[in-house]
Amino acid sequence: MTRLRRRAFLEVLGAGGATLAFSSAVGAATAAPRKRSYVLVLDGCRPDEIDSGLMPTVQGLRDGGTHYPRASSLPVMETIPNHVMMMTGVRPDRNGVPANAIFDRGLGAVRDLDRASDIRATTVIEQLNRSGRTTGTVLSKEYLYGVFGARATHRWEPEPVVPVSGHAPDIVTVDAAITMVEQFDPHLVFVNLGDIDRLGHSDVTGTTGEAARRTALASADLQVKRFVDLLRSTGRWESSLLVVLADHSMDWSLPHRLISLQPLLDADPLLAGRVRIAQNGGADLLYWTGPDGQRQAAVDRMRTIAAGHPGVLAAHDRVAERAWLRLGARAGDVLVWCRAGWRFSDPDQTSNPIPGNHGHPATYPIPFFLAGGHPVVRRGVTEGAHARTVDVAPTVAAYFGLPAPAGGWDGTSRL
Amino acid sequence: MSQQLNEQPTARVDRRTVLKTGAAATGAAAVVVGTRSAGAAERVFRHGVASGDPRPAAVVLWTRVTPTAAATPGSGKGPRVTVRWQVATDRAFRHLVRQGRFATGPSRDHTVKVDATGLAPARWYFYRFLLDGVASPVGRTRTAPAHDSDVTRLRLGVVSCANLQAGWFSAYRHLADRDDLDAVLHLGDYLYEYAPGEYGYGVGNVDVRPHDPPREMVSLADYRRRQAQYKTDPDLRRLHARYPFIATWDDHEVANDAWQAGAENHQPDEGDYRARRARAHRAYDEWMPVRLDGTAALGDGTRMFRRLRFGRLAELSMLDLRTYRDQQVASSVPGSPVGPVADPALSDPDRTMTGRAQLDWLKDGLRTGGAQWKLVGNPVMIAPVTFAQLPHDVLDPVNDVTGLLPRDGLAYNADQWDGYTDDRREVFTHLRDHGVRDTVFLTGDIHSGWACELPLDAATYPLGESAGVELVCSSVTSNNLKDITGSPPRTTSLAVETTIKANNRHVKYLDFDSHGFSVLDVTPERVQMDWFVIGDRADRGTPASWTASWATDSGTQRLRPVDRPVGGTR
Repeated sequence: MTRLRRRAFLEVLGAGGATLAFSSAVGAATAAPRKRSYVLVLDGCRPDEIDSGLMPTVQGLRDGGTHYPRASSLPVMETIPNHVMMMTGVRPDRNGVPANAIFDRGLGAVRDLDRASDIRATTVIEQLNRSGRTTGTVLSKEYLYGVFGARATHRWEPEPVVPVSGHAPDIVTVDAAITMVEQFDPHLVFVNLGDIDRLGHSDVTGTTGEAARRTALASADLQVKRFVDLLRSTGRWESSLLVVLADHSMDWSLPHRLISLQPLLDADPLLAGRVRIAQNGGADLLYWTGPDGQRQAAVDRMRTIAAGHPGVLAAHDRVAERAWLRLGARAGDVLVWCRAGWRFSDPDQTSNPIPGNHGHPATYPIPFFLAGGHPVVRRGVTEGAHARTVDVAPTVAAYFGLPAPAGGWDGTSRL
Repeated sequence: MSQQLNEQPTARVDRRTVLKTGAAATGAAAVVVGTRSAGAAERVFRHGVASGDPRPAAVVLWTRVTPTAAATPGSGKGPRVTVRWQVATDRAFRHLVRQGRFATGPSRDHTVKVDATGLAPARWYFYRFLLDGVASPVGRTRTAPAHDSDVTRLRLGVVSCANLQAGWFSAYRHLADRDDLDAVLHLGDYLYEYAPGEYGYGVGNVDVRPHDPPREMVSLADYRRRQAQYKTDPDLRRLHARYPFIATWDDHEVANDAWQAGAENHQPDEGDYRARRARAHRAYDEWMPVRLDGTAALGDGTRMFRRLRFGRLAELSMLDLRTYRDQQVASSVPGSPVGPVADPALSDPDRTMTGRAQLDWLKDGLRTGGAQWKLVGNPVMIAPVTFAQLPHDVLDPVNDVTGLLPRDGLAYNADQWDGYTDDRREVFTHLRDHGVRDTVFLTGDIHSGWACELPLDAATYPLGESAGVELVCSSVTSNNLKDITGSPPRTTSLAVETTIKANNRHVKYLDFDSHGFSVLDVTPERVQMDWFVIGDRADRGTPASWTASWATDSGTQRLRPVDRPVGGTR
């Protein structure tokens, strides 16, 4: 609880009847803002799913706002790094968060990047706080709650959390978002809705019927409607900018399309016992743990072995290709991507039983649009520009008139 | 002598120079008008003017001069002459921005081909040529937008398969009547190789107009004369003068059903096929406003596949699907041009349609980070049009053992990508693996109008994903299904169309009966194709009317019908 020191706690009965726990910075401002911004992340939503007929609210918001149909996630196409890019406006080589899971060389183990100290760049949340404004985070996943820590003025801890998935259902999350707005009315609220992603991961019919996934889409749309209805009914809509997007897309693999690299690497004389893998669904991060003098030879060997495995799309030298990968040293030495319809399972074939995955290039496409009643939102416009998750912070900052951080944004304001 | 040695463009003209030169040009124009008749221009520049391959700062300008009566196309006769060329921002040529001289002669069939550089992006220009005081007709052209500019609209006329013997080029006439295009996309079969009496109008192969020379084109002189004949068609001449062309070749620019070492319509007594193809390509390079091997020069290579960009809105990859392909798999229906074909060689990974280098180049252009719309100028259809498909997840393990079945079902036309399914699999897999959206294949060849989604697995579609869409324009004049069967329109073809669509659920629109042209409209929101059809090809004044429109919204890889064409119905 040391991270939560100097914060006040509030328990509120949410609209769904559950008790919602919020923590707030002591002395947080309470004046009603003139401008509001809400970043709604439909975790793992594919852009085509908005046109599936199951998401009329989201579709209506998109068509009535400014739509970026070319939008994409950024490497590694996982949840934590893309949420961090949204809030920092810079790439992982500057913010320190390249993937969900890394091999922590200091720890000597693979771990999730779920600590507040893992973010090594200033977030737009902190920028807003410093400017005298207030912020809120309503993040359905435990590791997101962890990585953003106590940065926001007000934050909700996901509860109840679904066992195994580690996320709170959308209905509870939106209860929290609604309560956050009603109680604290922050200038910025950052919301993650996790059902679409979580039910996509576990949907064994993912490649055919996608039954559970479709249920999640319809449910998420209903929750977005509840949130938008709140803004409209309370007069907040006219002063609001909504940035609605996904962090990554979703792909489904068949049970036999499995890539397990660790046994192959361990069978190589140079690499045996000296490579660790941080598995990220459709991406494997490979770390050389042997002598520095052998690093390049090891990288070349790892790439050759990986590229020879069926289902591997590419094996990149993370250092040699750093100019476009922009992942930073924490991403290891080699980034391996699978093809669509495949997944990684490391260190062994039982490590990743779930069919739905992302992290690989097939999961680049995301929905991305601006909505809301504030005059800054252009209505019914489709833009051909290539919007990316890293554009969120510059967009929010431009909306509130905040400056770029030292070194500038890596993203672009989409206002 | 190569074009580079001949061409002598002046430097960009500054404003004061423009004023002086403009005055001089005006004077020159006055001399032309005052002293030389329009008949002289028609005599010297009887093949018109053309432009093509627009880039942000450059466009290819073309003409052919006839300096003496003997200097006819393919004759090898006539003097070497120097032709002046001018580019201006106004039709009266008061504001010249580029000009130069170009030496030509019988070695290049008196053609003139200039890469006019130093132009401004996304603007209209006027151009002309002058020989001995005689000015050519004025052509109009347009440069491409700057590479990183935000372009809100691109509109192209789309045509293919113009057989002069089969009718009048009314489709070209109606396109030229429009004033809302940026360029014309020609997807191949710009001309045909046949002799009079072969492959004319309808079942009886009636020649509405006979080909020149009156024999199948085989020699260099033949190819030059045929190119020249087509360029004298008034509708084609006018269209060339109105808009820049972006063209690729299909098979008939050389011979029917061409492949890398032969063609269906190439016989042993016609000599070495590759030599014949080299002659055809030479004439094409002389007579068409395209950059082969990236230049307007002759003799420096004949690489046709190339990419043009229109700001951030679109890239257009133009393919050559004849020069590098392996021989087609024979139809299982003797004497029939179409299948069904059940030969497993259709899916042999060692057979190629594109060739390795072109396929790698194409895939390199189909990436997320490029322009929004990935347009592909694709001479033959890529959508599967097959029967008795089995799901890949069922079929692949069977083929791993037996290798007996084509991967995408029984092909009805093995001359298309259906005859080279491994190349198609590689393209579609690439699009899926990299999350590439907004890819639109623009196709000719098949003398019919189609709008298709591109299923990753046709057997299970519409379950599963689409890799993109394909929009196919009809022929300008070449025979379609009703012409071949002699059936009245919308009779026999309807049954065939229904059968094909029932077996290929990704085919959304199919018109086997019409001739005409299409208009492609590209915006950030969507790409829309409008199909316009003409009446009787034998009627020189036949009207055109709108018949269908389909669009793909950005990010969807799916098609939807549209109830009106861009620019209103005609």
